[in-house]
Amino acid sequence: MSGVGAALKVAVVIAVVLGVWYLGAFLLEASGDRIAYAKLPYPHAILEKVLANPGTVLEATWETASRAVLGFFIGLFVGGLFATLMVQARALEVAFLPYVLASQMVPIIALVPIMRAILREPELVRLYLASYVTFFIITVAVLRGLKSVDRNALELMASLNAGRATVLRALRFPAAVPYIFSGMRIAAPLSLIGAILVDLVSGQGGLGYLMVAAVVVGPSQATLLWAALLIAFGLGILFARIVVWVERRVSPWQFAMREQAA
Amino acid sequence: MTADKVEDRALILDPEEAAAAQHHHHHETLADRPGLPIAIAVEGVDKVFTGKRSVKALESVSFDIPVGTFVSLIGPSGCGKSTLLRLVAGLSAVTGGRIVVNGIDPAEARRRRQFGIVFQSPVLFDWRTVAANIALPLQITGRPRAEIDRRVSELADLVGLRDFIGHHPYELSGGMQQRVAIARALSFGPPFLLMDEPFGALDMITRDRMASELLRIWSSTPGTTVMFITHSIPEAILLSDRVVVMSPRPGRVLRIVDIDLPRPRTEEVRESRAFYELDTELRRLLLEGEAGTR
Repeated sequence: MSGVGAALKVAVVIAVVLGVWYLGAFLLEASGDRIAYAKLPYPHAILEKVLANPGTVLEATWETASRAVLGFFIGLFVGGLFATLMVQARALEVAFLPYVLASQMVPIIALVPIMRAILREPELVRLYLASYVTFFIITVAVLRGLKSVDRNALELMASLNAGRATVLRALRFPAAVPYIFSGMRIAAPLSLIGAILVDLVSGQGGLGYLMVAAVVVGPSQATLLWAALLIAFGLGILFARIVVWVERRVSPWQFAMREQAA
Repeated sequence: MTADKVEDRALILDPEEAAAAQHHHHHETLADRPGLPIAIAVEGVDKVFTGKRSVKALESVSFDIPVGTFVSLIGPSGCGKSTLLRLVAGLSAVTGGRIVVNGIDPAEARRRRQFGIVFQSPVLFDWRTVAANIALPLQITGRPRAEIDRRVSELADLVGLRDFIGHHPYELSGGMQQRVAIARALSFGPPFLLMDEPFGALDMITRDRMASELLRIWSSTPGTTVMFITHSIPEAILLSDRVVVMSPRPGRVLRIVDIDLPRPRTEEVRESRAFYELDTELRRLLLEGEAGTR
């Protein structure tokens, strides 16, 4: 029942958005703007463009999405490792956490030319940026999760003479699971943005390249920009949904617990 | 002092008490078993927490817990009872004096997994079922699978949770969660059960029932020595062979009272005059202790 209700809600939202969109596009056209079709094209015009160039769009989507996913997993691994190390000793956390935080102060778009000059390979730059964006969020989320265990639980483990590895495996990691997933839910769409950013700046292919190409070529290709935008948007949502789907399978009790609390 | 010497020490603390003990001949009370070896000896223990401002939590605390007995520590909040439990459990070190557990240092006893601990909150692992929570110590100590399964079902029966073995903690009431915590603490058969206000977060009715349950569980794990922390006077009397009454911070021992009420502690015993007198005595002691610091 709630499934039907949720589907209905989504349908209503989509209908409203499309309605507003059509209205906007119509008004812009009616105002006499000669390139209204490029500034705000009708949704069906975008769909037509995609169907007319399926190869280009699919290839670009695959190129960006696959690097984003790979970068995401690299970021997940490195972030998880960092957080695990930091939770082993307060000194490590104090020494490294400020730099992890500082890494986010760098405008990441400026990193693209720098990393391209260093890594040369655009593929690697894409991976680097996608993982760079993910890494920070995951490190902070995992660290918070690993530290979320209460003092008595640690004392319980100490009373059982459990070693560091056992404490991590039996207590800290399972306790961190909800934190890790909420970090992943935020990081997954961002890894996509990281990958697109590289396309935009270094312009070799991918969804970002599609966006730039449309702008460079002119109004005639503007529908492609809109198509790329919508695909990126859809992929972002898809990534976040996949994370939630996996979490439901990994820790179903967590959802039951939240429902009961609500 | 060697282990032998610790065990040789007499249990009765002063001649007056010894004389008084002679007059009682209840079944299974401390007074009947004066030769019982000492399991936990706390000798002139001080504990100071140093920080921005150092706090003296405990001051020359001394008492003994004989093997296989139930000893309660009672005192106002913040009197260092929990601190004392942590010291005995080898989770924290004394600043002065010493503690001997079965002839060895508490930290060494902890490494040898001599303590089952129950805290005020159940500290169950949300991601584990009741069975898996009870099994935790057995898994950590690397017992074989068959033994774990057998022990878990024995303990689930003992604490009356056979039908809830596959449930997750969030599906249980507070009292049931605390039963799981007790089962977990006993699962690996530790010689000591340390309980830090285990029923403090429960409502009065559940609390009463849990105390009787604990007595039943304890009587089916013979030889287990219990150190129990509470701020409920009737609870301490009902459960214990001996009650150590403590003062407000810095925690000192005001009096050690042996509870020579017969066991099992039935409803009759709880309603007896002796029970009432002990209750009054302990209440007065606590009040005086409170007044003494003002």
